[in-house]
Amino acid sequence: MSLHRADALGGRAAVVGIGATEFSKDSGRSELKLAVEAVHAALDDAGLTPADVDGMVSFTMDTNPEITVAQAAGIGELSFFSRIHYGGGAACATVQQAAMAVATGVAEVVVCYRAFNERSGHRFGSGLQARQPSAEGAAMGWTMPYGLLTPASWVALHAARYLHTYGLGPEVFGPVAVADRRHAATNPAAWFYQRPITLEEHAASRWIVEPLRLLDCCQETDGGQVIVVTSLERARDLPHPPAVIAAAAQGAGRGQEAMTSFYRDDLTGLPEMGVVARQLWRTSGLRPEEIDTAVLYDHFTPFVLMQLEEFGFCGRGEAADFAAGGGLELGGRLPVNTHGGQLGEAYLHGMNGIAEGVRQVRGSSVNQVAGASKVLVTAGTGVPTSGLVLTADR
Amino acid sequence: MNFDAYQGLPSADGGVAPDLVNAPMIRHWCEAMGDANPAYTGPDAVAPPAMLQAWTMGSSGRSPHYDALLGGLEQAGYRSVVATDCEQEYLRPLRIGERVLFDAVIESVSAAKRTALGTGHFVTTRTDLRAYDEAGGEKPDDATPLGSHRFRILKFTPAERPPAGSEGEQPRPLRPRPVVNRDNAGFWDGVAAGELRFQRCEECGTPRFPWLPGCNRCGSDRWRAEAASGDGVVYSRVTVHHPMPAAFGRPYAVALVELAEGVRIVANVVGVPPEQVGIGTPVRLGFQRFDEELELPVFHPGGPDRLPPLRVPLTRTLIVAGAIASRDYQDVHHDAELARVKGAPDIFMNILTTNGLVGRYVTDWAGPDARVEAIAIRLGVPAYPGDELQFGGEVVRRSDEPAGERVELAVRGTNRLGVHVSGTVQVLMPRKGEHA
Repeated sequence: MSLHRADALGGRAAVVGIGATEFSKDSGRSELKLAVEAVHAALDDAGLTPADVDGMVSFTMDTNPEITVAQAAGIGELSFFSRIHYGGGAACATVQQAAMAVATGVAEVVVCYRAFNERSGHRFGSGLQARQPSAEGAAMGWTMPYGLLTPASWVALHAARYLHTYGLGPEVFGPVAVADRRHAATNPAAWFYQRPITLEEHAASRWIVEPLRLLDCCQETDGGQVIVVTSLERARDLPHPPAVIAAAAQGAGRGQEAMTSFYRDDLTGLPEMGVVARQLWRTSGLRPEEIDTAVLYDHFTPFVLMQLEEFGFCGRGEAADFAAGGGLELGGRLPVNTHGGQLGEAYLHGMNGIAEGVRQVRGSSVNQVAGASKVLVTAGTGVPTSGLVLTADR
Repeated sequence: MNFDAYQGLPSADGGVAPDLVNAPMIRHWCEAMGDANPAYTGPDAVAPPAMLQAWTMGSSGRSPHYDALLGGLEQAGYRSVVATDCEQEYLRPLRIGERVLFDAVIESVSAAKRTALGTGHFVTTRTDLRAYDEAGGEKPDDATPLGSHRFRILKFTPAERPPAGSEGEQPRPLRPRPVVNRDNAGFWDGVAAGELRFQRCEECGTPRFPWLPGCNRCGSDRWRAEAASGDGVVYSRVTVHHPMPAAFGRPYAVALVELAEGVRIVANVVGVPPEQVGIGTPVRLGFQRFDEELELPVFHPGGPDRLPPLRVPLTRTLIVAGAIASRDYQDVHHDAELARVKGAPDIFMNILTTNGLVGRYVTDWAGPDARVEAIAIRLGVPAYPGDELQFGGEVVRRSDEPAGERVELAVRGTNRLGVHVSGTVQVLMPRKGEHA
């Protein structure tokens, strides 16, 4: 990847396997067990065995070391193992790392995984209490004594400025939540299967951190999700049609902070996602209007709107209208989060969204966009992040 | 028991202030309140308006009806007392050498009411005051109206306090601590010194916040700390509802403030309800102590119609000195042991001191030529030693009168427990170039 020119990674690797545990509120087993189960499910889906795996990538936030997952999953020697930082921003970057390893011959089959008991165990939304005096701790320390302690609160401070700048009210986030939940309602794997919501329900839901309401916030989930990556050449010999990694990118902005980037620019966009967008468009050679469907990271609804603008699906300040007109739903201008997103299906730090991108390319989504062959997937927003363009192998 | 029969009976009849209005009592009052208004010193000194009731304290003239009412309430088990409201109207200035006369009536006695403190009856009295220049040779018949004073107390039976060691005795939850390290210690040194310090790059001049050891614009590691002027504007803001940290207890606003120097900082805007903190609101830097260890920069709504904040440390000395300066010898204001017997954790500030501080706060802003015409306050949570009272206020109404501009102010004083006092003050401001 490069900030300045198209890279040489596009089209070299593909996703060949996806596998997950059930998505629940209380898995009843360890995070390690969830990871191992998901690894086996994904390898089965890929038509591969633990013996084929020689690389592993996860999140720094994951509690399961690569070596321990390998040990428990029947995986032997590893020539590549890596972890990405910044929470959900790591999701697509795990696949990028895997693709780079495969493209350079450092590894042949790489497993990307994320598994946690985020609902029954440590809940990210419960709020910070204390931090060590490291550089990262100090960055959070500027806001903690004032009671800005949760991801919802950090996102809300951006969202309030966005609404103010464009003269909008918090109801503009409603169509994002409604689209996600409508898609989840027809997805049997989704936590909110058969439970769609209306704009009225969104507007009536209680404040979490004003201007964010309960239905603007993703759920909390126990579960594991794994993505298997190998070379495009090898992928063509495996059972499923390959989801080609046409482009993969990471991005951080100038003056970037982990979730508290309050001190830069105008707070109405996601500059780090802009970095990702420029690279993805350049390397894939695609334009926004060529994308068939997108999985846009949706831990909180406002950042879905900002992503539409960063990727150029609409102009600055126009995303609310884009969403209000049904643009995010099946049959709309850009069907988004056809699995139900993290609001509707599960909060797996974005990894379940990559799996949905793969299903759309394969033509196997429960909410299949007819003929989808070009899919955008993004990772965590408001943090240093990453993204993917997955395409059919044609 | 029915106390209605007392309504309308006098509570003081022919009351005479024990002392002429005099400079020493005024000076003691001003020292206790920290009030440096020059109008209260020198040959033309007037008495601080909020001192009105102090002149009548300890006087003769209390009626047997009032003693009977209080005695009856005591017998009925309502042994504790707390003042809840004080409304004073000042018709004219009061000068040294005058004698204050007064009459008072029991306006109302409420039915028994349950309150946070316990069950009790509110007793409201109204006092009308006159005064004459006794030192100048005037006689009582020369007395002219001075003002009025409506006072409401609660005679109550303290609510059962939870036994020691139970939930009620647990230490108060504290705010999360700041994270201090070698890179940002200079900021917290600044807070201790009463400054909000940001960094400025010595190479390219770019101001920066948060604190970092190098400049993002040019990469230089040479910098100096500068103190912010304190002026800022709310750039963004949220109201936190859930989860509610125990140290906060109720929905609260967190703002991203853009300082005049061009850097932004996250902080609380205090002294106003969260919904009044809007993007674009001008704010002014202050500092607030939240517990023994934690002092933070905070912001108060600013702008021409806002009074600058005032912080008053609630020392034991202030509470006792204020009670004595107002001649209020109720034990709960100076004797911690007896205060505990009556259901309070410690001594607490008397309402006349609170009233005096409100008067001081307003005249600090309005200046010595302004005339305070009325103060009406209601007490909320008590003010105990070791806390801090933060005053904030705003202009709610202005009207042009022949005598000047009449300004009505809304004033609030908050401490760690919540809103200690809220009320309104009416001030007559002289026209520019004129003197009262």
